[in-house]
Amino acid sequence: MNKELEHKFVSELESNQNIVHKVCSLYTNDRDSHNDLFQEITIQLWKAYPKFRGDSKFSTWMYRVALNTAITLYRKSKKRIRTQDYDSVIYKIKANEYDHTEEHQLKLMYNAVKQLGDIDKALVFLYLEDKDYTEISETLGISEVNARVKMNRIKNKLRTILNP
Amino acid sequence: MMDELELLKKDWQKKEAELPKLSFDQIYQMIWKKSSSVVKWIFIISLIEFIVPQLIYLIPAAREGLDTYEKLGLKNAMLVISIVPYAIALYFIYQFYQRYKEISVLDNAKNLMHKILKTRRTVKHYIIWSLSMFFITFIAMAIGIYFSEDFVSILNLEKLTEEMSVERLRLVVVGVLILLGLVVTVVVGAIYFLLYGLLLRKLGRNYKELKRLEV
Repeated sequence: MNKELEHKFVSELESNQNIVHKVCSLYTNDRDSHNDLFQEITIQLWKAYPKFRGDSKFSTWMYRVALNTAITLYRKSKKRIRTQDYDSVIYKIKANEYDHTEEHQLKLMYNAVKQLGDIDKALVFLYLEDKDYTEISETLGISEVNARVKMNRIKNKLRTILNP
Repeated sequence: MMDELELLKKDWQKKEAELPKLSFDQIYQMIWKKSSSVVKWIFIISLIEFIVPQLIYLIPAAREGLDTYEKLGLKNAMLVISIVPYAIALYFIYQFYQRYKEISVLDNAKNLMHKILKTRRTVKHYIIWSLSMFFITFIAMAIGIYFSEDFVSILNLEKLTEEMSVERLRLVVVGVLILLGLVVTVVVGAIYFLLYGLLLRKLGRNYKELKRLEV
């Protein structure tokens, strides 16, 4: 690999690193795992970089590689920290008692999203990133109709998590 | 709910400011680190699985075993049983390599998972085949001994005939061989399926979920 290519890749990733961080924050619960997943996605991006022809935007291309790594290739490190589960339980209790401020609602939503399965998270992530159903369906390899159906089911699932 | 997800979307975009920021150098370091993806693990484990059964034939005891087969009148059968595996192993390795090459992180999620599982299936078939051959070898030996005239001297079991009759000894040896073949086959098979089961549990679950959508 030549130096120029390395340089180009690293600076493109540096300016688009937010996408990878957002995927990591959805799929991991602690800082170590976050960094671990970030590193694996970086390796996968770099390995696939020679095949990136620039006919799509670098960032568009990143979504696919980052999600594929998180859903399929990445193996969670053994030391999994359970604090997240504990937190979400506490939020649930509080929610029934009081506080309907926007900030609190958001906290609840984030926790609900984190409780979803890997595939559901991917759909929510792409939705939050303002991707249309065509792109969502192409990234996951399902039909557009099914992507919409799935999204509606996720909304119902989130509603149940938020209002048990 | 619709409104809440929209609310989350707005906040999600605002949240970018809170995300960690890695420097050019930190990212540069990362591209040289070793991957620990499941695909890499499958590749390593599969290589071991292709190589280990071949190594068994290189152990002196196994070669001595061939002499024993000759005396038991099983030489030709054993020769075929020993040569055919190489051809079949080569076929499996070729298949495995073809499928492994098809795995691309640039595919959509469902295709990527499908191709990984397909690659794994090639190795699974190879393992099932290897273990069956292994078991058949034990059975063939048992049958050879059952019909052999002088298995006592071939296997150097003279000492044992002092304690029991030749016919009784024959049954014991046949029984032990069958049992040993069965136990080793089951244990090796269990280790293999457990290993892959753990490695691909997450992938399998996610793939099923995507597949279920299409029904």
